[in-house]
Amino acid sequence: MTFPATPRNVLVVAVVMSLLLILTVLVSLTMGAVHLPLSEVWAALVSPGRNSEAAVIVRQIRLPRILLAILVGAALSVAGTGLQALLRNPLADPYVLGISSGAAVGAIFALWIGGRVASASPLAAFAGAVITMVWVYLLGRRGGRMASYTLILAGVITASFLSAVILFMLTLLSTRDVRGIAFWLMGDLSVTPLTELRLLAPAIILAIAGLYVFSKDLNVLLLGSEEAAHLGVNVARVELGVYILASLLTGIAVSVSGAIGYLGLLVPHLGRMLVGNDHRMLLPTAAIGGAILLVLSDTLARTVVAPSELPVGAVTAVAGAPVFIYLLRKAAG
Amino acid sequence: MRGCLVMLAQLIRARRATDPSPGPRPDEVNRDRGPPSPLGRGQRPNSHPLSSGRGRSQGLDHCIQRKVRDTLTACSGLTFFMVKYDIHSAQVPSCPSGVNSPGSAAVWLYVVGVALSILLPAVASARTVIDQTGRTVNVPDNPHRLVSLAPNITEIVYALGLGDELVGDTDYCDFPPQAKNKPHIGTMLNPSLERIVTLKPDLALGTPEANRRETAAQLERLGIPVYGVTASTLAGTLASIEDLGKILGRASEARSLVVEMQSRIDQVEKRIEGQPKPKVLFVVWYRPLITVGPTTFIADVIRAAGGIPIGENLKGEWPRLTLEELLPQNPGVILLPKTESFSPNTEDFQSLPGWKDLPAVKERRMFFVSETVMRPGPRLVDALEELAGVLHPTVAFKTGERR
Repeated sequence: MTFPATPRNVLVVAVVMSLLLILTVLVSLTMGAVHLPLSEVWAALVSPGRNSEAAVIVRQIRLPRILLAILVGAALSVAGTGLQALLRNPLADPYVLGISSGAAVGAIFALWIGGRVASASPLAAFAGAVITMVWVYLLGRRGGRMASYTLILAGVITASFLSAVILFMLTLLSTRDVRGIAFWLMGDLSVTPLTELRLLAPAIILAIAGLYVFSKDLNVLLLGSEEAAHLGVNVARVELGVYILASLLTGIAVSVSGAIGYLGLLVPHLGRMLVGNDHRMLLPTAAIGGAILLVLSDTLARTVVAPSELPVGAVTAVAGAPVFIYLLRKAAG
Repeated sequence: MRGCLVMLAQLIRARRATDPSPGPRPDEVNRDRGPPSPLGRGQRPNSHPLSSGRGRSQGLDHCIQRKVRDTLTACSGLTFFMVKYDIHSAQVPSCPSGVNSPGSAAVWLYVVGVALSILLPAVASARTVIDQTGRTVNVPDNPHRLVSLAPNITEIVYALGLGDELVGDTDYCDFPPQAKNKPHIGTMLNPSLERIVTLKPDLALGTPEANRRETAAQLERLGIPVYGVTASTLAGTLASIEDLGKILGRASEARSLVVEMQSRIDQVEKRIEGQPKPKVLFVVWYRPLITVGPTTFIADVIRAAGGIPIGENLKGEWPRLTLEELLPQNPGVILLPKTESFSPNTEDFQSLPGWKDLPAVKERRMFFVSETVMRPGPRLVDALEELAGVLHPTVAFKTGERR
């Protein structure tokens, strides 16, 4: 089913999906290792003065985690959508360009040189992501501008090289550090404090908004870069902009939550099945849909082995692969 | 005025909690010098947390071992990940020295303080200490709702007679048996913060050998102090028991427990004196072969039991050893911990390439030892006696189970 992407339709889709997201968040707030009825969750949310255990659990443990899931889910899904259009490749995801591996190298390097400070890790990871982004761009350029296939090759090669570097560095880390980093490598939403969210939220929202500006151009770009140029699109500018914004979104998301797999690959495809190929409609759908899916996955991660918790990346990977295969079969037949 | 009284009461409480006997404290220390020997006069624990302020620690507990194995099997790339980390270890009780000077004024203050601490029961007092992992922790003076984040810590808490004050422990805490009935907070690596919050602990106890740094940070953020202990030797284990005793207001109990453990250690030492020392291979995992590094408490127990752990020249806590390296070292005895998840039998090894050529395998000098040896707690001495019995059956007390 596809709708024409009129402003009215975009608004309707966004509002409906947002309501769904709010519903998901409310359900997720009631679930966890400790059973809290909806009434208590509500009381904890609306009366900030309360200081019961329920309030601590809802406001200091569950809510920050859910907010982070929303931001990271949206960031990864939008980055995936943008990259699939930019690279004109349905298998592209936020990690195909090696940015998550670069972030991992940064984070491990911080631990390695004695990162006792917890906040050093996200910063180092983000630095690693940015360096990788620039490196892959320089490597993937051809004749002064980006060519999608050289960019993919540059990204894939960089990613696999960096994976080797990660394995090497892991062998030199202490057991204690490896334990922490293993969770991060799998994707884990549990460790970011609320204060960091205040920094993350504007960055992610701005980058998503920035990508939305390019949505019309992305539609044209899907026809091929030469065709797009004939139609009056400044292809080099659009490609560079989308590349940088998608990479930054990935870098930010990975630096706080590790490499959560499959979301950035799957959500764009789900979005296309839902609303079609017009990026003016697809990008908001992917953003909110990705948020919903990650909140759901994290709710599972918090509850299936309670009182312990799974890293959310394990849930998205286990759930993501079968869903992807199903979609593939459905599309094929 | 009331504020002053409260402060005074806090100071005096702090003093009472750290030092039950009046008089100047021998262990007022500054961090650079390191803490005093927790073993008291003369007996300085091997080096570990103390001396240079840099130490090595390792050690793991069987559940971690299980985790390590799981990780290994799941992802062989992540294998032998071990090497150094630093521990800046010191305990600095923050009592102002003035309170410690003996004299009638101090006695008077003490009396007033005791009176005040009774009169003002609502005053929550705490002191800032540096735990064995180098973190600064605000420890309440009389913690009475404890959460243990690791099985060896649960054992120590029970051994200090604080079982009733333990409000939660991990899924893997199985000793003493009552520990199994405590509310569980999940695994050591990924406990549920929500569960911990609902238990309303005033102090959580953890160890870097079993827990993640992130967990400690998250708990601190939720207002739950986390005190960490760590041990890389037998003596370091005794030291961490004594350290926990001080923090939990059970210094004398801890002291007598440690004295008893030490006397058993000394007895073992006496019994095995002059005996030939066999080379011992401790198998943490056998495919690939992972053994204990020289800086683990397991290696230390082997040494104390009169053996020479193979791998003294290896780096890291849980080094991988290739069979090529193992063959020329020719271990005299092979020890395997007996755990639920790890119970190959000797026949398995007799058909394994590489292994089957080892004389120790051919001659069935392979022994399963209780997994207590992997828990740096009060029962580590049991493990020491068991190991001594296995390595020196003619002179030591007990014998290990022979398969």
